[in-house]
Amino acid sequence: MSEQTLSAQGLPAARAARRSGTSGVLTALYWVTFALVLAMVSIPVIALVYGSFRTSAPGLPGEWTLRNYAGLASSGVLSSMTTTLIIGLFTSVLSIIVGTAIALILHRTDFRYSRIVMPLIGLTFYFPSFILAMAWIIVGAPGGIYNSIVDDMLGMPWLRADIYTAFGIVFVMVLHQVPFVYLTMRGPIIGMDPIFEEAANASGAKPHEVLTRITLPLLGYSVISSFILTFVMTIEQFAIPALLGIPGQVTMLATQLYLLVRFSPTDYGLAAAIGVALSLITGAAIWAQRRVTTAGRLTTVTGKAGRMKAIPLGRWRWAANLLCFGFVFLGLVMPMVILLYTSVLKWFTVNPFEGMYTLRNYVFIWESGSTLRSFTNTLIVSGVGAAAGVLLGLLCCYFTLRLRPRGYRTLDFLVSLPFGVPGVVLGLGLLWAYAYLPLPLYGTLTLMIVAFVTRFLPYATETIGGQMVQIDKSLEEAAWVNGATRIKGVTKILLPLVSPSLQGAYFLLFMAFFREISSAILIYSVNTSVISISIWSFFEQANWGLASALAVVATLIIFIAMALIMRLVPTARRG
Amino acid sequence: MSISIENLTKRYGALTVVHGISFTVAKGEFMSLLGPSGCGKTTTLRCIAGLEDADGGVIRIGEGIVSAPEQGVVVPVHERQIGMVFQSYAIWPHMTVAGNVGFPLAIRKVSAADVEKQVDEALEIVGMRHLRERHPSQLSGGQQQRVALARAIVGRPQVLLFDEPLSNLDAKLREGTRAEIKRLQRELDVATVYVTHDQEEALSMSDRVIVMDGGRITQAGVPKELYRRPANRFVADFVGRASFIDIMRVNGAGWATTGGTKLRLDDAGAPPAERYQAMLRPESVDICGGSASAQADDAVNVLHGHVVESHYLGAYTEYHVEASGSRVKVHSRDDFDVGTEVTLRFAPEFCRLVALSGEAR
Repeated sequence: MSEQTLSAQGLPAARAARRSGTSGVLTALYWVTFALVLAMVSIPVIALVYGSFRTSAPGLPGEWTLRNYAGLASSGVLSSMTTTLIIGLFTSVLSIIVGTAIALILHRTDFRYSRIVMPLIGLTFYFPSFILAMAWIIVGAPGGIYNSIVDDMLGMPWLRADIYTAFGIVFVMVLHQVPFVYLTMRGPIIGMDPIFEEAANASGAKPHEVLTRITLPLLGYSVISSFILTFVMTIEQFAIPALLGIPGQVTMLATQLYLLVRFSPTDYGLAAAIGVALSLITGAAIWAQRRVTTAGRLTTVTGKAGRMKAIPLGRWRWAANLLCFGFVFLGLVMPMVILLYTSVLKWFTVNPFEGMYTLRNYVFIWESGSTLRSFTNTLIVSGVGAAAGVLLGLLCCYFTLRLRPRGYRTLDFLVSLPFGVPGVVLGLGLLWAYAYLPLPLYGTLTLMIVAFVTRFLPYATETIGGQMVQIDKSLEEAAWVNGATRIKGVTKILLPLVSPSLQGAYFLLFMAFFREISSAILIYSVNTSVISISIWSFFEQANWGLASALAVVATLIIFIAMALIMRLVPTARRG
Repeated sequence: MSISIENLTKRYGALTVVHGISFTVAKGEFMSLLGPSGCGKTTTLRCIAGLEDADGGVIRIGEGIVSAPEQGVVVPVHERQIGMVFQSYAIWPHMTVAGNVGFPLAIRKVSAADVEKQVDEALEIVGMRHLRERHPSQLSGGQQQRVALARAIVGRPQVLLFDEPLSNLDAKLREGTRAEIKRLQRELDVATVYVTHDQEEALSMSDRVIVMDGGRITQAGVPKELYRRPANRFVADFVGRASFIDIMRVNGAGWATTGGTKLRLDDAGAPPAERYQAMLRPESVDICGGSASAQADDAVNVLHGHVVESHYLGAYTEYHVEASGSRVKVHSRDDFDVGTEVTLRFAPEFCRLVALSGEAR
């Protein structure tokens, strides 16, 4: 070491120089990151809270008031609050049951088609909710395919069903949420040491007794955690309740907020108050979920997973097949087929033999400047935005997990905050904020990127942080001992080791941005429309053919990107 | 109840991990399966338990066949009435100590009062009764081990199976638990199969030991025989410490080292092989200082050499002595410097002829 040769007076000076030399850059970077995250998270939140105490629309002169909070107690808001909670509860319970059952079937039994079903459920996870809802409207609307078949063709009107109901919302939401439950339960199920089940088996417990008395209790905390997250995602879900609920007048809080802003008589103040209330509910739920996961670290996960003998399905094989393939059919295959079918019809008809087929919808996409622009907008927002999100996520992870300078806990809290803010509420907050701020962001793609990055920053930090905590600090320390500076330690050791998670996070954000609609719906303008908004608008104009064609193209892009990245980045497979 | 195994075969895909082995464990007998990792001992145990499906052969517990895949008989694990202790204990973290121990009874629909009573008895036996309401996370490794033991014996199983139960305990605790398992097994008087890679454990606890290597039985016997008369070099090496001297036949019946020193040794019942070695246990070799000149040239079982390594181990010192072209390990309480000329002597009964492994199995 060169320091050993230094004189006694020279030594402290050298040390001080070294400290300021390397961490000076890092300190500056830390405060920039901190300020950026603080601004991104707090501006919409503060603006939202501000708006909830104002009498007027954003940007207009108004007065302070408590009227908006009094409005929360009105019968209309109360009833949509009840609807929201009931739909959220039912959806979560059903999703948990179906998702956990599928995960157990795929990873614990001798189910024969795991290799087919697993990637299909992965695809379903990336199937955008508003496209799923559109497909099911085409099927289940009063004039839709299902009702035409049972009524006109089969003559059994008592079988008629209406998708524009609370039941319909729950049904489509379960289809949308099951892959999430599956993906969150898969890890704990695969990682669980089979020895606990083997011990029960050896103690004389039959397979179903092992399941109910050992497996499920041991998964308990994971189930509760997944349940709460599903509940949060359900009550903040915007597209499904908007598409299905608005025609059927089943109003959830997120849709009520949207209606109050978009349709007259508008009431931005009440909308903001609803946003605050909704955020408090989701925030509380996520706080509870965090408590459960920290309390529930049972020592069930060891390195020896995977030796377990598969549980024979026996005479229940048909039920397992029906559940897995039935779900994939209803959640992915049939909606895709329906959209494909609708997209090539000149005029919508239920009977494929009476249809007049055309490719004009696809030609229109190609020829319409605005549609093409929404495509390029989406690619810019997803591509650039995901890169920005990954960079910011990486910085946050490094500071909160490694460097831990003053205030890192605050940064950690700020980063996790968007988890609790529903997308449409975030959009409303930004709407309020940029009506006052002197920044020329309103109506730009930059604002769209800011909104998306803010909303999905926790995705990036969870993915990157998950890998970073697994990398032993001594690897960096060894680099320092061998003469590397802090920054060199990061670039030469830490970054190469976390790079799989960076790729994974980029992939995750790209996908999320590509299909995001809820935080965009209130802040888009004609020039910054993205694909999801275009599909939404065409569908609202009852142009099912064009909406379907666009949805088919968008879905194909998502699936192709997913297939490509799965091939290129092995870590992305964990979803 | 006894356990009998005939021609047990287990494959994973194209890889055969157990090659048609056979053995029996009598009622009350303590049998160890000893071998290096990957030798098939744990797989054999899991086949007996039913946690793995055997691919061939017959496993009987008592009179009943529990596994005979060729005849299509496979009794599921939960009907085999076994008690089993796992390497990582497998104490269910969501149940109390009493819940864990009572599980085998509760699952067999024993009445709640009887469960209580038998759980208390089992916990009393392992000295854990005062901790019955604790949760596993509040227990030390040794205590978890005892709970696992109590759970294995509570249902009065027909057979006891142990899968390296002591390998996660520290050395002190291991010795105590060894004695306790042995005592319990005597009291219960059930056929016991104990899997371990620790030769001390196998030798000290077992009535008989089976040494396995590469999915086959290399040798089966009582501990003393295994230690004193290993069937081949693998067993000699794996069970205890040993040195080997290359030897050759002289005058038809006698033996000598390659250096010409005559040897008298124990060659009773050694299998035929092309090459042989003489095995010496380090504690059976006497070492004394002094050069060769004092000894007559035709002395038998006397080797001359010099110390090349010395490892002080407290109770004794292990010396590696270069003698007659081989390295001989010797344990002694005397002090010698590295380089000292020494003379080694050993009795014929502690010098065992071994066939080179791989050439006679």
